[in-house]
Amino acid sequence: MFTRMNEIDRMFGAMDLLRTKMDRLFNEMDRPYLHRPAFTLSTNAPRINLLENGDKFEVRAELPGISKDDISIKIQGNYLEISGKREIETPEGFKPHRKERSATTFSRSFTLPDEVDAEKVNAALKDGILYLTLPKSEAAKPRQIAVN
Amino acid sequence: MTDSKYITRTENKAIEKTRELKTATPSVDIYENDNEILLYADMPGVHKDDVTVNIENGKLFISGIRRLDHQGVSNWAEFVDVEYVRSFSIPQSIKVKDVAAKLKDGILTLHLPKSEAAKPRLIEVTAA
Repeated sequence: MFTRMNEIDRMFGAMDLLRTKMDRLFNEMDRPYLHRPAFTLSTNAPRINLLENGDKFEVRAELPGISKDDISIKIQGNYLEISGKREIETPEGFKPHRKERSATTFSRSFTLPDEVDAEKVNAALKDGILYLTLPKSEAAKPRQIAVN
Repeated sequence: MTDSKYITRTENKAIEKTRELKTATPSVDIYENDNEILLYADMPGVHKDDVTVNIENGKLFISGIRRLDHQGVSNWAEFVDVEYVRSFSIPQSIKVKDVAAKLKDGILTLHLPKSEAAKPRLIEVTAA
């Protein structure tokens, strides 16, 4: 009898595993781009995350090995454009075996959900990721409404 | 709805242990000259302390974990926390103790120096 229970146990365990896998499949169905390497030849643009944090937006972009001089950021109202170029220097006197990283120029533009204050935008580059903090403009900021 | 609708307690030991993070393959460039093999790998967002470089029995294994802080509501996400994993076969002639690794701007640079015996040598021809 107890061996039977153990078998049932195992069966449920396997079903549980299958269910987790199915869950994951559905979550990622519309996001096949999540795990590809940055800057592949097919996607000639950096990948971007957009977070909304109260009165500011935060944009992160994967820009490995790109110096801050090669990135240009344009903001106008709720329009944001990130462009730049990536240079791959071949070391002197070496012969290549494999070249998967490619030199490229890129440009991506977005319409943000709200207007941002272009004067107060802060951009930082750390570990190959660009962190953009975009405070919303006064008109778009959330407001506390007092109840009478 | 709760998750606990099992008739019996599920046993975790029957299930294979999976990684905590999804894995991603970093793009690499590999160069070679007479003295060393040079490897570049794109690992954006990985901190220096989260990189592991392991050389064992002719296998080079690199791993880098990216942990981003998630504050606020995600409106649009194209990249997530991942573990960059890739392994290579390397010749036995690599001087393992002299391997140098550097991480800058999300790019891992690995210098794999060759041992003296493996370096190309020009043999002088002498008249007999």
